[in-house]
Amino acid sequence: MENYLAALSLLILFSAFVLMANKRIKSYIATIRVQSIFIAIAVGIEGAKSLKTTGHFDILLVCVLIIAFKVIYIPRLLHRTYGKVEYRVAKDFFLNIPILILICCLLVVFSYFTLSTVEGINTGESNVQMVNSISIVLIGMFFMISRKKAIGQIVGFLVIENGLFVTALFSTKGMPLIIDIGIFIDLITAVMIMGIISFKINEKFDSIDTNKLKNLRG
Amino acid sequence: MGYILWIVPIIGILLLTAVKDKKLFPIISVAKASILLIAAIFITRTVMLQGKVSYKNLQGLLYIDSVSIIALDIVVVIGLLSAIYSINYLNLELLHGKIDIKRLKLYYILMDTFIYTMVLALTVNNMGIMWIAIEATTLASAFLVGFYNDKEAIEGTWKYVIICSVGIGVAFLGIILLQLSSIGVLKEANFLQWTNLYENATALKPSILKLAFIFLLVGFGTKAGLAPMHTWLPDAHSQAPSPISALLSGVLLNSAMYGIIRMVSIVNKGLGESIFTGRLLISLGVLSIGTSAIFIITQKDYKRLLAYSSIEHMGIIAIAIGLFTPASIFAALFHMINHSATKAMLFFSSGNILQKYETKDIGKIKNLLKILPVSGFVFFAGIFAIAGTPPFSVFASEFNVILSIFNNHNFILGGVVIGFISIIFVGIAMTLFKMFYGTSPEHLIPGDINIPGEIVMVCMLIFILITGIYMPLQVKGLLLSAEKIIIGG
Repeated sequence: MENYLAALSLLILFSAFVLMANKRIKSYIATIRVQSIFIAIAVGIEGAKSLKTTGHFDILLVCVLIIAFKVIYIPRLLHRTYGKVEYRVAKDFFLNIPILILICCLLVVFSYFTLSTVEGINTGESNVQMVNSISIVLIGMFFMISRKKAIGQIVGFLVIENGLFVTALFSTKGMPLIIDIGIFIDLITAVMIMGIISFKINEKFDSIDTNKLKNLRG
Repeated sequence: MGYILWIVPIIGILLLTAVKDKKLFPIISVAKASILLIAAIFITRTVMLQGKVSYKNLQGLLYIDSVSIIALDIVVVIGLLSAIYSINYLNLELLHGKIDIKRLKLYYILMDTFIYTMVLALTVNNMGIMWIAIEATTLASAFLVGFYNDKEAIEGTWKYVIICSVGIGVAFLGIILLQLSSIGVLKEANFLQWTNLYENATALKPSILKLAFIFLLVGFGTKAGLAPMHTWLPDAHSQAPSPISALLSGVLLNSAMYGIIRMVSIVNKGLGESIFTGRLLISLGVLSIGTSAIFIITQKDYKRLLAYSSIEHMGIIAIAIGLFTPASIFAALFHMINHSATKAMLFFSSGNILQKYETKDIGKIKNLLKILPVSGFVFFAGIFAIAGTPPFSVFASEFNVILSIFNNHNFILGGVVIGFISIIFVGIAMTLFKMFYGTSPEHLIPGDINIPGEIVMVCMLIFILITGIYMPLQVKGLLLSAEKIIIGG
């Protein structure tokens, strides 16, 4: 089982790299869905383990929530927002893709070196998984910086949330259930609100390019 | 008694969604806020007598001690005042056709939700749920910031939501690490309970605790408006309707600061010294004061100026918490109360100015005292108060903070802080005093608008005058016991 989890943690990291290399908003949404599926599988494995050893099925409940919201509902919501706002294809990033990927590699190396100096975390397997998942958070932040479109930034926010979730899963074997549910409610409202605001940005600024938001300064 | 704080707001929000008559919205909102205030008074009394309020059920989730009651009272009082102020403010907007009844309803629902999330954040024992509530404050206030729906408001909202959500995400990483440091120390049912973490702080793994503190400081610091994570704050404060600006500045920043305070006391007890947290907090605090000094001097928009002044005061509080001596913690808590009252009052009066002159540009506002006698006077006195002039209470607490810096033999820090504060004083005087001179445009008729709002403002002015000179013994006792809880022992 541990082997599968290690492989999944790598796959989730890899999907973040793939996301960075994507060019179109539609492929962002597809990649984020694939990443969420991987997370759902990892949570499912953890849930089955905890059901076998302690008899708690709350992690399995979280798995169901992930499938319902992160795999099905949020990508659909993003598609709908995208369908409402986007009517022309334009280049969405500042740097070219090889440089972006290279910077992502550096981020992984950075989080590896940072975490290996902290006592108490670097105990074998959980360390590697922690490095992977914190790298996902950093890559998500970098994704938000590198994309100009509002939807790209929403996707970046989702990657950060995924990374945080994976960190919680692998390092602490899941948070208490009530906190997990609260996080889900927050996440869904956040994505809905961001979707509505990006729709309004499109209405007022005639595009969802967040570089045009330059009225407020000083 | 404590559960009233959790149940009454929900009933109020549900009632608001159900009713359709526009006259009922403010009545429900004010009634709800008044019930909260009465409950808060009773709880304050209990806390004064027994030290804390907590119940056995729900795993001891509800927990109120002296630290939380100070922040909670600020939330409840300013919540009530801004509900009263909102009535005429919004009626006038409705009259001018800026909003319709649907948006009016949305405003009251969201404002009550916003206050509710803050009450929740301050009354739970669980750090994880506190995090959820603080994230929820962003979501509840997002559309309030973008209430006017024009280009600038949308831009402010987008920045607010994105920056604060990411910042709070970073704080969640800190919460995860906090839990990681407590694995093997706490039982599973007690995970992330503040009281348990605090009791067993010395057993937590110190290196992970340090990492957790950095993440939490960045995350909650974003929400508290500490530089360099402050960039959302002036935009959101200047674009929101004035009662919401008052809530954002007077209450929300305190709630985020409360999260930092709770974490600081765990980390300092765990590490056995305050140098680590002190260095981080003091450097962020000095950076905040410096940043706001630069922007205040060159400011052209009075609401943005007030927002930058909030960054300054949060910086002062951060420095005082960073010093972590009994006197400085006392001063920090006292400063929280004073800053909230003064800044909320200033935002209320700036709302009246905005509605009268219909501009946020300092240069276009002339002869304020004649056009708006009461609001203008309150604004005039408030400027002096917020800049730190005696006899107002901000002076008293700022003086205490600086005194504790010097008592700690931190002469360079004290000098730098005094330097920045005097720059800010000059900046405020230079920019805002223009508003009181000159000849006003002819189409403006002198006379006040929003009478209930003015009564609120005058009451607040009297309050900050009294607390500047005299502090009741009970309040002092409450502040001292809060200081003991934070420092420990």
